[in-house]
Amino acid sequence: MSRIGVFICHCGENISRTVDVEQVAAQAALMPGVAFAVDYKYMCSDPGQNLVKNAITEHRLTHVVVAACSPRMHERTFRKAVEQAGLNPFLCEMANIREHCSWVHEDREEATDKAIEIVGMLVERVKKNRVLPTITVPVTKRALVIGGGIAGIQAALDIADAGHQVVLVEREPSIGGHMAQLSETFPTLDCSQCIMTPKMVDVANHPNITLHTYSEIEQVDGYIGNFQITVRKKARSVDEHKCTGCGVCMTKCPQKKIPNSFDCNLGTRTAIYVPFPQAVPNVPVIDRENCTMFKSGKCGVCQKACGPGAVDFEQQDQLIVEPVGAIVVSTGFELYRITEKTKGSPIKGYGEFGHGKIPDVIDGMTFERLASASGPTGGKIQRPSDGKEPKQVVFIQCVGSRSREKGISYCSKVCCMYTAKHTMLYHHKVHDGQAYVFFMDARVPGKSYDEFWRRAIEDEEAVYIRGMVSRLYQKGDKIVVMGSDISVGVQVEIEADLVVLATAVQPQKGADLLAQKLGISYDKYNFYSEAHAKLRPVECATAGIYLAGACQGPKDIPDTVSQASAAAAKVMTLFAKDKLEREPIVARVKESGCVGCFACKKVCAYGAIEEKEIRDRQGNLVKVVAYVNPGVCAGCGTCQATCPSKSVELDGYTDEQIVAMIEAL
Amino acid sequence: MTALSYSYYPGCSLHASASEYDLSTREVFASLGIGLEEIPDWICCGATPAHNVDELLSLSLSAKNLELAEQVPGDMAVACASCFSRLKFAQHILGENETKRKLVEKAIDAPVHLERRVKHLLEILVRDYGLEQLATAVKKPLSGLTVACYYGCLLTRPTDVPNLDCTEAPTIMEQVMEAVGAQTVPWTHRLECCGANFTLSRPPVVQQLSNAVLESAKTAGADCIVVACPLCHGNLDIRQKEIEGVYETSYGLPIFYLTQLVGLALGVPQERLGLDALIVSPQKLFRDKKIN
Repeated sequence: MSRIGVFICHCGENISRTVDVEQVAAQAALMPGVAFAVDYKYMCSDPGQNLVKNAITEHRLTHVVVAACSPRMHERTFRKAVEQAGLNPFLCEMANIREHCSWVHEDREEATDKAIEIVGMLVERVKKNRVLPTITVPVTKRALVIGGGIAGIQAALDIADAGHQVVLVEREPSIGGHMAQLSETFPTLDCSQCIMTPKMVDVANHPNITLHTYSEIEQVDGYIGNFQITVRKKARSVDEHKCTGCGVCMTKCPQKKIPNSFDCNLGTRTAIYVPFPQAVPNVPVIDRENCTMFKSGKCGVCQKACGPGAVDFEQQDQLIVEPVGAIVVSTGFELYRITEKTKGSPIKGYGEFGHGKIPDVIDGMTFERLASASGPTGGKIQRPSDGKEPKQVVFIQCVGSRSREKGISYCSKVCCMYTAKHTMLYHHKVHDGQAYVFFMDARVPGKSYDEFWRRAIEDEEAVYIRGMVSRLYQKGDKIVVMGSDISVGVQVEIEADLVVLATAVQPQKGADLLAQKLGISYDKYNFYSEAHAKLRPVECATAGIYLAGACQGPKDIPDTVSQASAAAAKVMTLFAKDKLEREPIVARVKESGCVGCFACKKVCAYGAIEEKEIRDRQGNLVKVVAYVNPGVCAGCGTCQATCPSKSVELDGYTDEQIVAMIEAL
Repeated sequence: MTALSYSYYPGCSLHASASEYDLSTREVFASLGIGLEEIPDWICCGATPAHNVDELLSLSLSAKNLELAEQVPGDMAVACASCFSRLKFAQHILGENETKRKLVEKAIDAPVHLERRVKHLLEILVRDYGLEQLATAVKKPLSGLTVACYYGCLLTRPTDVPNLDCTEAPTIMEQVMEAVGAQTVPWTHRLECCGANFTLSRPPVVQQLSNAVLESAKTAGADCIVVACPLCHGNLDIRQKEIEGVYETSYGLPIFYLTQLVGLALGVPQERLGLDALIVSPQKLFRDKKIN
């Protein structure tokens, strides 16, 4: 005989505003099997949890139903409380009367009736819950970090410093990411290279870090604590162990006119190249698409020039399998290329700005390279078309961002600050020049940020015009900027020498494909989704995978570094225990009914179904049945829905329980 | 493929100041074998004055026209950019706002019909008839003619209402002109305003704005401008001489309706396209480019 306790939460006013919680408690008390029912303002708080614990002892409760928010929010909280009172935690269920009821309804009477029904269903379900033992799995104390920008570097260094092994995988030939491209950084104007390159060297020298550059994630298998990662190490055509980084190959390469993407195509590089002189590792890579040897089979100058004989045209891609226990995803961002319009994409492009057609209309990152001491102009501000020093520069903010009409409604967060920085860098280098900024709002919340922005206007003489730009066009050697100044209600036309567009921050190309390999969720823009916007901001909903940096949403350097350290701390917490406890909500096979068709195996997204041989006492094979590996099973229930002989059941969601819930309606 | 056929809403301008647009539209459709049947008893769309003064009036006029269109089968073909804009706006607003829809239904004393697809001539030529087929129907390609395609304010704007093409960087008119053999130029003022209705109340505003359009087309190396709007046509064609006087310059740019040039390419004789109604005569241009 069950003695069920039902605990109805007001959630402040979130539930009680629409649902008559006292009425729900009164009705619940009358349900068959319910021994106790009560409502309380904040059931998840300390007094609320004590209420549950005391009731279990006082009323000798056998099962508990908490009618409150989504189980995604507080199931763990209440199961822990129930366990402390001596009950098996899996005899506690949550009835979601907030997301599924009070938040989506307005009529109090109807919402109350619905809440009572939801509670009734959960009461019927919990009656049939079994006592489940917690599953423990071993933890491989080794982390994978995907992406070697500042986020990945920080996370890798933190985890490695804590004494754990780290595998850092970077798609490009060098680590460093976008931060290595920046000139000076806000709000202190310290040189990006000076704070970035030492960290890159630390990564290269750290005994606990294995670095795979020019590599991509091929395949991800396994689960929290026990991932198997297949890394594709692309053929570099240069032996990393033999190369001394002398650079003779690059001076000899006859292909010298290839646009250097690290310099936003302002400068050129050779076919065998390192993206920038401070690259880590300082080992060149051959760009096979542009290399004469690979195109025509005749050249090999670099191979002849290489003293240690490191150049290897025959090198093949390598697949390396790395066992890890946790994954930090830090794949970063790219700038919205406003001229590239993909068919069928809701993002509409900015043909009216002539970016890509007018050479002196550039994006923010290109300006960074122009202003950078290590850039193609050595830090001199020269416009791309004719190398002249621009005397009038117009900066346009929010290009692509914050425009529902154009397809991206979010704010890119970093542009207000970096545009203010650009005006200062420009003013420092071109004293008689004038910078104009078209902006919608200045969004500069952050330590010392507002002061920085005001300095651009008050001390560095940038002219800020509140309004948008409708069109840019070339007139002679000038660019006509047609815009509006909404604070005075007039149209503005400026003849500029250079126009810099603060284009939107987007996730890296292919971010969605990586997410699919990892089994993590992403939003409509392909930014990775955190498990909870406020309380679990660095974790993915998929256990054992953590997020750092702009792959989760636009972020500046301080925020990125903070999040990377937070992700590292989460990984260390996971590695602090030798065994990991997992929820035992997994599928079980009734071997007597299983006919071994393995329809379940085909549908299992987690590879949790194995084949198991049943033998009699003489060792003769009787039949082969399905077996669910409880360490891998994610409890999704797809196998249960698929099984033609109804021989798989998911604990807590058995057919019997589902039917009981329906009958309670 | 069954023959294309449309219910035709010409609008007031095409029955008056822009009769050559009407004439050439009918000729083009006839020579392409596309059916075009005028909606009986259609009324004015209200244009700019109606929606500036009374939204209910503006929406009701378009709703009434959509109701009248029920008499003729086929999607609704519209030539005038302003009529097109008003009809599309009415469909957009009435489709989203039930309160306004009820008010309009009361005003026109009939149910509002929103299903009918309202299409601009450009859409019909590019999407329904098809550019390849149009190119094969050309008898006298306009080779050598360099045209500046002028969209004006209304044809593509605002985003999500006309859905004719990309709002700020459309190419649909260029596609049609290139299909009939003309060369198109990239130019800066394709989507700027000509001054529109201020032609009656504040002519200097129109002179300034239309001058910028003419200047830009000339600088880009165009021989002429192609338009799809009677008001743009009026401002650029009728006022051109006056603008040249005010700004002490000379353009001599013939302003064509897009159907006049398409008609020429399809081999329709000049006199049936209303080319004599143009104030800036195209005859010298035709002689220079050997177009007849």
